[in-house]
Amino acid sequence: MQQAESRTGSIYDLGYRGYDGLRLGRRHAITSLYWYTLRSAFGIGRRTGSKIMPIAIVIIAFIPAVGQLAIAALVSNVEVYTPSNYFAYIEIPVALFCAAIAPEICGRDMRQRTLSLYFSRALHRRDYALAKLAAFATALTFLTLMPQVVLVIGNGLASKDLWGYIQDNWADLPRTIGSGLLMAAMAACVCLAIASQTPRRAYATIAVVAWFLITWPIAGILTTEIGGAGKLATFISPFEFMHGCTLWIFNGSPTVDSPLEVAGYPLWVYFITVLAYGAAGFAYVVRRFDRIAA
Amino acid sequence: MMIDSTIVRLTMRQLLGQKRTILMLAFALIPVLVALLYRLNGDHVRHDPQEWTATVALARLVVGLVLPFTALVFGTAALGTEFEDGTAVYLLSKPIPRSTIVLSKLLVAWGATVVVVLVSTFPTGFLALSGEPQDGIVVAFAIAAVFGALIYCAAFLWLSIATSRALIAGLLYVFIWEGVVVNLFKGVRLFSVRQYTLGIAGELMSVPKRVFDPRLQGPTAIVLACLVTGVAIWLAFRSLKRWEIGETS
Amino acid sequence: MTEPIAPPIATEPTAPAAIEFDHVSRWYGNIVAVNDISFSLNAGITGLLGPNGAGKSTMLHMLAGFLQPSSGNVRVLGQPAWGNPEMYRRVGLVPERESVYPFLTGYEFVLDSARLHHLANAEEATMKAIRMVELEDAMGRASGGYSKGMKQRIKIAAALVHEPDVLLLDEPFNGADPRQRLHLMDLLREMAANGRTIVFSSHILEEVERLAEDVLVIVSGRLAASGDFREIRKLMTDRPHTFVVRASDNRKLAADLVSDPSVYGVELQGNDLQVRTSEFAAFTRAVAGVARRADVSIFEIRPTDESLESVFSYLVKR
Repeated sequence: MQQAESRTGSIYDLGYRGYDGLRLGRRHAITSLYWYTLRSAFGIGRRTGSKIMPIAIVIIAFIPAVGQLAIAALVSNVEVYTPSNYFAYIEIPVALFCAAIAPEICGRDMRQRTLSLYFSRALHRRDYALAKLAAFATALTFLTLMPQVVLVIGNGLASKDLWGYIQDNWADLPRTIGSGLLMAAMAACVCLAIASQTPRRAYATIAVVAWFLITWPIAGILTTEIGGAGKLATFISPFEFMHGCTLWIFNGSPTVDSPLEVAGYPLWVYFITVLAYGAAGFAYVVRRFDRIAA
Repeated sequence: MMIDSTIVRLTMRQLLGQKRTILMLAFALIPVLVALLYRLNGDHVRHDPQEWTATVALARLVVGLVLPFTALVFGTAALGTEFEDGTAVYLLSKPIPRSTIVLSKLLVAWGATVVVVLVSTFPTGFLALSGEPQDGIVVAFAIAAVFGALIYCAAFLWLSIATSRALIAGLLYVFIWEGVVVNLFKGVRLFSVRQYTLGIAGELMSVPKRVFDPRLQGPTAIVLACLVTGVAIWLAFRSLKRWEIGETS
Repeated sequence: MTEPIAPPIATEPTAPAAIEFDHVSRWYGNIVAVNDISFSLNAGITGLLGPNGAGKSTMLHMLAGFLQPSSGNVRVLGQPAWGNPEMYRRVGLVPERESVYPFLTGYEFVLDSARLHHLANAEEATMKAIRMVELEDAMGRASGGYSKGMKQRIKIAAALVHEPDVLLLDEPFNGADPRQRLHLMDLLREMAANGRTIVFSSHILEEVERLAEDVLVIVSGRLAASGDFREIRKLMTDRPHTFVVRASDNRKLAADLVSDPSVYGVELQGNDLQVRTSEFAAFTRAVAGVARRADVSIFEIRPTDESLESVFSYLVKR
């Protein structure tokens, strides 16, 4: 007869159990939120409908740069767009992007009441605000600076000596980067401050559009047609003071008869204005999420 | 095709809720402030007051900014908020012809827009022109704005039924189509409600071209205005009749 | 396996059915939400039952005239449901979303509903409807401040104010506390007894079991079963029935029952005897005789899986 083997069997508990392993912690949460927001600003990882506006705006932003490349291919030594006046153009795509995307950055969380989910994790309220601001600012920086890269290449090719061109215009590089970052950061802070007022997408969009597009003609009229105290209107219109700041960074001067020129303020004032708006927006957003009911 | 007084009352209470009305009225007062500033220290050399009033204050600020924006807010909210909040089902499950619902809502949106725009037009016009010959400028713009409000509201009302992105579509239309594209291509003025309004205004006042020169002539503007209004209202009827409830949870 | 056939619901041959679905389908692109469903209903309460996503809301929306069927006809009181606002004179709808105009008081909400229906005596009808849902105390408050259950009740009042012949309710018991639920069930039963046709949807079996006289079971867009769920159960001949018996001598009864051809399994569980049979009718005829011959007294005998839950889970798994 065989020796009885000792065989064993086990039943495994597949029920709910706690987790004792490694937890990635607060910093990981912040960076995850940052990347997630950045990606969804451009519609990556979301449904096709959310990609339309960002892609359309990116295309609009790149048009002159691509046009410059085309010109470089055909005709040489023609510099249609310089970094400085490109920034004047890019204000419009930036405004469009803010109007389309700013309501989505925090609006979705506010609408769908997922804020409480975020705040009950390792993430603190401030971290949430900072991550969102940083992501939105990064998205806008992409919009302001990427076309500049293409532009440099385009202009360099137009001058037939790319490397030489870069060496010549080296000084422009920190100016370009500074301008792009400033514009993006300020727009991000203020537009998020506006958009975080209301969960309704429609109202947020209108408010952002109003800030960009309604102040513009009003500032124009007040400055050029009225003068006097009206000249202060250049400080309320983002298109004007952003342009003024860029001009100061690039040591340029405003076109004749433009509101900036008529207003006649020294251009460094606009640099301060940009900083002030950005700081105010930043402080507001942080405070808003410190206090929001979630 | 009638108006239902209950719907009118309901819509009035909805649209003229505190925040929205106050914001719109504040917005309407911006041109008035600008006119005030003009009176106080304006550059009277470059534009004489008539020209400034007509071309700058009334045409650009009131008709170009206050009118479309107000019509956008009221026109899209009249039915838009009902769809968003889910109360549209309450209205639509009653034995009321869809055309009646559209017309009642349009009436309120139009009325609200007209009030705001007139609050903007008259003080602005009279302030800017105080002491100068009137030549019917302000009244002409006021009447034209009333028509313009109807066209805009009808169009935006239709948009709010046809799509959930009516607001953004309307914004793009007003600022890009009517603001930028119309300056690029000559034919676009035939498709711009702003130009219809300005054309009607031009027809109603008798001033030299240097004072005010609309891109569209009066008769053309009137015909196109009626056409577009009619089409917009008809489209709104159609869209509401075919409206289907969206995917809810 | 025998295919369970839904027994036809008797309709009056002369008048059109109150509600009629005639080979109705509804698709969204590639997704078929409702797949060739036909049935007709008359006075009484019918429950629309199915898992989430089965198509219940779609069907109710089509009944309410808010969705156009992709194919087939939906008729309410003889008229097409789609594109027919006149139908609402005799149809009331209680939608799922708890949407009220927050600035209106409860009274005004129902009153406006009455006015929109062009009722001659709007105030009277309003008070009557509000009394039916027991909201007299709160009717003067702005409905924006109502609790979920109160919002539900005021919506029901607004839907009843014109005394419709057909009442459609989408998940009406969501958010209702037990007392409100009982009260609403009583209300609906009373209305059904007065000849109205009531259709409500739910995914909560107890509610449907308690309230509905007939059920329509929808699974993945198809009509899986319709009618009285007890009758449906009987038709499921490929599933054995289970009875629980309590007798004076369970074991002896068990031994004798096994020898009966209609029984194919017995099980002793505590104080009870579980009997499995494949022939419902034959067993019910046989069990008394078996007990008498065995000289055992039966204290209790009941079928155990006639609940809607077992019927439902069976239908869903098919």
